[in-house]
Amino acid sequence: MLEIHSVSKSFPGVLALDDVSVDLRGGEIHALLGENGAGKSTLMKIMCGIYSPDSGEILLDGKRLVLKDYHDAIRNRISIVHQEIQVVPLASVAENIMLDKLENFARGPFVDWKALVAQAQCHMDMVGLDVPSRAPIAGLSAAQKQLAQIARALSSGARVLLLDEPTSSLTLHEAATLFALLDKLKEGGVAVVFVTHKLEEVLEVCDTVTVLRDGKLIETRPIAGLERGRLVEMMIGRTMRDDYRGFLPEPGEEVVLEVRGFKSEFFDGLGLSLRKGEILGLYGLVGSGRTELAKTIIGEYPRTAGELLVHGAPARIRSVSDALHKYRIGYVSENRKEEGLILSASVVTNIAITVWERLAGALRAFFSPKAERLRGEEMIKRLEIRTPSPMQSVEKLSGGNQQKVSIAKWLVADCDILIIDEPTVGVDVGAKASIHELIWRMASEEDKSVILISSDMPEMISLARRILVFKEFRIVGELADLNSTHHASEDVGRMIGEYLA
Amino acid sequence: MSEQDKGGIAGLLRAFTRRTDASAIVATTVLFVLFSLGTQNFLTPFNQFNVWRAASQNVFIALGQALVVIVGGMNLSLGAIGGLTVVVIGHSIEILGIEPWIAVILGLATGVLCGLFNGFFISRFKLNSFVVTLASSFIFQGLVNGISQGRPYSKIPREFTRLGKGDVLGVPNMVFLMCFALVVVYLAFRYSLLGRKLLATGGNAEAARLSGIKTGRMLLLANTLSGLFASIAACLWISRMGTAQPATGGDWLIVSFAVTVIGGTALSGGTISALGFLFSGLLMALLRNGLIMLGVNVYFESTFLGCIILLAVLVEWLRAGVAGKSRRL
Repeated sequence: MLEIHSVSKSFPGVLALDDVSVDLRGGEIHALLGENGAGKSTLMKIMCGIYSPDSGEILLDGKRLVLKDYHDAIRNRISIVHQEIQVVPLASVAENIMLDKLENFARGPFVDWKALVAQAQCHMDMVGLDVPSRAPIAGLSAAQKQLAQIARALSSGARVLLLDEPTSSLTLHEAATLFALLDKLKEGGVAVVFVTHKLEEVLEVCDTVTVLRDGKLIETRPIAGLERGRLVEMMIGRTMRDDYRGFLPEPGEEVVLEVRGFKSEFFDGLGLSLRKGEILGLYGLVGSGRTELAKTIIGEYPRTAGELLVHGAPARIRSVSDALHKYRIGYVSENRKEEGLILSASVVTNIAITVWERLAGALRAFFSPKAERLRGEEMIKRLEIRTPSPMQSVEKLSGGNQQKVSIAKWLVADCDILIIDEPTVGVDVGAKASIHELIWRMASEEDKSVILISSDMPEMISLARRILVFKEFRIVGELADLNSTHHASEDVGRMIGEYLA
Repeated sequence: MSEQDKGGIAGLLRAFTRRTDASAIVATTVLFVLFSLGTQNFLTPFNQFNVWRAASQNVFIALGQALVVIVGGMNLSLGAIGGLTVVVIGHSIEILGIEPWIAVILGLATGVLCGLFNGFFISRFKLNSFVVTLASSFIFQGLVNGISQGRPYSKIPREFTRLGKGDVLGVPNMVFLMCFALVVVYLAFRYSLLGRKLLATGGNAEAARLSGIKTGRMLLLANTLSGLFASIAACLWISRMGTAQPATGGDWLIVSFAVTVIGGTALSGGTISALGFLFSGLLMALLRNGLIMLGVNVYFESTFLGCIILLAVLVEWLRAGVAGKSRRL
C-alpha cells in the first residue's frame, strides 16, 4: 500500500537514514526495530510528512506521493501516534479525539457537540477507552491518554497507522486490549507500523519485521520462524560483543551511598546500596520509579521516611546544591534540553556552572571568566566535544555533543557519586560509544561510583556490573554476579525479563 | 568566534550584528545625528543637559525592570513602588519633620520591602510574577493615594536637589551616577557569582536548580533588587523635580520595558547588556525630546513611543535573523 523507495535523510553531522526501502501492506502489522538513533523515528516522520526526505520517494497505491506536512498525510489517510503524549489538557476527552477535525462538526459558527461526542464515543469504544467522554483529559492516566491518541488517529479514517512505542506506558492488560484492537484493524485492511523496544510484543503480534541499524536497512522479513536471539542479533549486529567491556576491578567493601527504607509519594520502603568504584544499573520501563528515586536522593523530591547514608554517615540533602557542594553527588538528567542545559548559554557556562562556587573561593563573591573558560576548554578537549568555539551557545550543537556537555558539567565538578539518567537518548552511535567509554573509565580508572539508569538493554549490559530491576516503584530483582561471571547478553535479557514478568 | 570573523571590516561588522544591543546602538546614533542636523536647539547645552538627565533617569527605572526580566519574570508594580517611595520620603520630611537623609533611607527601605513582598510570593509559592506584581501594584498604589491624599509634597529642602539639578563641568551629576551604576551592573553580571547565578536562573530555571543553584533565593534577590532600584529611581525623581509628586511612576511601566527590551535584554531572560542600557535609555530621552522640538502634540506622545518600541522589536527580530544566518556558515 505504502512503498518507501531508497529514502535518505541527513541532519547536521548525522546521516539518519541511508538508502532505506520498506513496503507496507494493508492487513499487516509491520514492526520497525532498531536501537536508539537507528533511524526509526526519522523514517516514521518521513512516512507522515513531518520530515521530507533528502532523496528517494514514497508511493501510495503505486502513485508517487509528496507530503508537504502532516496535514497532507492525514488527507492521504496516514496517521501517527507519537510516544509523547500530545493533548490539550483542559479540553474534554471527546474534544481531544476530534481536535483535528472540529470543522466536520460545524453548524454555522457553532460546534455540534452532540454529534461530536457521539462519534468520539464510538472511537473510544473501539479502542476500549472506558471514561466519561466529556471529562477533561487531564484527569486520565498516561495509558488512557495514549488510547485517546490512538482513537484520534483512527477517527481520521487512517489506512496507514504509525505507532511509536505505544506500549511503553501501558500495563500488560492495557497492552493486550491494544493488541486486540490492532488485530481488528488488520482485518479491516489497515497497514500498521509498530515501533517498540519489547521484542516479545514483536514476536507475538507482528507479521513482518524491518530492522534498522545506524540509519541503514538491515533486513525486512516475515516474523514466522524467527527467534528472539536472531532478532537481537539483527538489531545490534556484531558491535554487541565488541561492546562487552569485561569486569570492573573488584569494587571495595566501602559503601558510598546507602538508601534505607525510602518512603514518599512514590515509594513505600525502598532501599539500595552503592559501593565504591561500582557501576550499578537501574533497569526498568519508563515510569518505573528510577528517575524518581534519583531525584529523591538529590533532594529534588521530598520523602516522608527513610534514611540516606553517604560514606556511612547520615546525610541531609534538601537540594541539588546540598548534594553537589556538601556530598559531591551529581545527577545527569535524562532530559537535557529542559533540565540539563541552559540552551541559550555558552558551552563554557554550561560546563562550569557546577564549579562557580569553587572558582569564587572563600569569599564566594567573584570569579574570573578566564578561569571558568579554562575549566570548560579542558572538558571540551577531554570529552572531544565538537563545537566551533567554547563560547558557542549550546543550542547550536548536535544532540550527542549536547549530551556530552551535560555530562561534562558533572565531571568538572569532580563528583564522587554520579547518577546518570538515560545517558544516550537521541545520541548518534559514535557519541554513544564515547559516552560509554567515559562512564566505564570513571569507575574502572578513577574509582568513582556510578548509578546508571537506562532502558536501553545493550547499554545496561555493556556498562552495569550489578543490575537492580525496577517495576512499579519497587525493586523486583537483582543481578549481582555480572562482575564475576560473564553471561551472554541474551541470558541477561532473559533474566531481567523474568523479574519483570 | 569562528574563523571568518578574524580581521577585516566585514568580520567586525558581522561580529557587531551578533550583539543583542546592536539595534539600540545604531538607532540611537542615527537619531542623535538626525536631531543635531535637523533642529537648531537640540545641541544647546541646556537641551543636552536635560536629555542626558532624562536618559539617566530612564536607566535607573529600567534597571528595576531588567533585574527581574533576566530571571524570566517581570515587575508590574515598579511604578507603584516608585510612587510609594516618593510619598514616604515626602511625607517623612514635610509632615513628620524627619531629617532628609533619614527620609531617603526610609524610602529605599520601602523599595526593598516592596520587592521582598513580591519576591516572597513569587519564590515561596511559585506564583506567576505577572499576577503577583499586578496585585501588589494595586496594593502599593492604594497606599500612595491613601497616605498622600493626592497632595504633592513641595517642602523639599534645597540640598535634596543637588544631585538631580547639579552638574560638574556641565555634565549632570545624574550622568555620573548612571555611569557608575552601569559599570557596577557590567561587572556584577560578568564577574560576580550572584550575577552569574541570576543569569543562569533566567536562562533555564530547571537546569539551574539541577546544577546546584538555589533558584528560589535568586528570584527573591532579583525582586528585592528590583524594588531597590525603583526607589533609587524615585529618589532621583524627587531630586530632579524638587517636589515629591504622588503621581510619580505613572509612566514607568512602559519606559522600563521599552528601555529593557530595546537595550537587548531578552524578555525570556538570561542576558543583559550594560552598554545597551546606556543607549536605549538615551534613545527614549531623545525621542521625547525630539517629539517636543518637532512640535508634536504631547497628548499623542505615548502613541509615538509605542510605535517606536514596536519598530525596535521588529529591527531586533531582523538583526537576530541576519546574525543567525551568518552563524550557520
